[in-house]
Amino acid sequence: MSSSSSSKRRSILPPVSNSGPQAPVNASSSAKVSDNSILTGTHSITIQSESVVHPRARLESTSGSVLVGRRCIIHERTHIGSTDGDETSGGVVLGDYVTVEAGAVIKAGGTEIGGDTVVGVKARIGNGAKVGKNCTITPLSVVKPGETIPDFTVIYSNGRRRTDKRGVTELQHRVQARHVEVLKRLIPNNPAKRQAAAG
Amino acid sequence: MSRRPPKGEYIETDTGNKVSRKANLVGTQNIILGGRTVIQPEVMIRGDLTRTAASASSTGGSAPANNTAVAIGRYCFLSRGSLLRPPGRVYKGVFTYMPLRMGDHVFVGHGTIVQAASIGNNVHIGHGVVVGEFVIIKDYVRVLDGAVIPPNMVIPSFSIVGGQPARVVGEVPEGGHETFELRDLYKTVGNNPQPINA
Repeated sequence: MSSSSSSKRRSILPPVSNSGPQAPVNASSSAKVSDNSILTGTHSITIQSESVVHPRARLESTSGSVLVGRRCIIHERTHIGSTDGDETSGGVVLGDYVTVEAGAVIKAGGTEIGGDTVVGVKARIGNGAKVGKNCTITPLSVVKPGETIPDFTVIYSNGRRRTDKRGVTELQHRVQARHVEVLKRLIPNNPAKRQAAAG
Repeated sequence: MSRRPPKGEYIETDTGNKVSRKANLVGTQNIILGGRTVIQPEVMIRGDLTRTAASASSTGGSAPANNTAVAIGRYCFLSRGSLLRPPGRVYKGVFTYMPLRMGDHVFVGHGTIVQAASIGNNVHIGHGVVVGEFVIIKDYVRVLDGAVIPPNMVIPSFSIVGGQPARVVGEVPEGGHETFELRDLYKTVGNNPQPINA
C-alpha cells in the first residue's frame, strides 16, 4: 500500500484472459472499443463508425468474420460469434444501430441481425439465424438456429411474438446517437495500447 | 479443501466488506459499499457509468458533482456472476446514466443482472433474474428465480414477483420477514468462513 496523502485506492480492472489468437481488428477511428473487451479469432473483426464496445464484451471471429455496423452498442459480457466448439462456418453481421445488451450470446454461422434491433439481456441467438430490422428480442428470449425473424418482430415472454407498430424508429436513432456520445466519454480506450498488444 | 489460496480469496475491508479478488469492479471510485457486503467471484459492477448530465439540483454549481454510480447498503450479498449496472435514459434532452441505489440486506442471486434505479431494504432477488432499467423495488420483496422484471416497473413492499415478464404473484406471509436477514449468510463466506449454525 502506498503511504501517499491520497487515501483513495485506485484499483484497475484485472487483465482479461487473452486466450486464442488476436483477431485482425478493423475499427473505425470514431468507434470506441474498450481496452477490456476481448477480440479473438482468425478472421477479421470490423467495427464501423461510432459504435461502442463495453469492457468484457467478447467478439470472436474463429469461424468467420464479424461485422459491427454504425452506432451499435455492445454491452458487457456479451459473446458475439460464439462457436461453443461446434463446427460452424460463417460469421456474424450486425446492422446499424443495433444494441446487444449485457450477457447476450450471438452464435456464429452466417448469423445476421438487422438494423435497429435490440437483443435483450442474456438473450441467445442461434447460429445462422436471420433477425430482421427493428426487432426486439426481450431478455432471456431464445432465437433458434437458422430461424428467420421478420422485421418489426417483438419476441417476449418465452417465445411469444407480436409486431412492433409504434413507429418510433426515428426517435430511437436520436436516443442511440446521444447514448453513444455519452459512452464515448465514459469508456476509456487507448487504441495505441491495443495495437501494441496485438503487434 | 486441500489447497488454500495463499493470499485469501477475499479482500476484507475495515468496514467488513468481503470482496472477491475475482470480481470485476469497473470504476471503483464511484461505487459505495455500506459495509458487511459480500461480493463473490465474477460479479461485475459498472461504476464507470456515472451521471453525465448536471443534476437538477446543482444549477447553482457550488457543490461538487456527485458521481456515485452504485450505492450499496449493509449486509448485501452479491452472488457469483451477478452484474449491477446503472440505468440510463434521455433526461431533459441529454442521455445520462442514473445512480443505482440498494438498501440493506439485499440478496442478489447467481447470474442476475440488475439495472434498477432503486432497491429497498430486505429484498431477495433470485438466480438468473433480469431486473430492467429504472425498476423500483420497495422493502421486503422476493423476486423468484428466472423472473424478468420489465423496465420502469414499481414493485410494492411485501410482494412476491415472478414470471417472464414478472408480475406480482403473492404476498410475503406474516412473520416471514426474518428470512430476509442476511447476517448469518455474511458469516459463511470470506477467508475463514463459519458454518451456518442451526
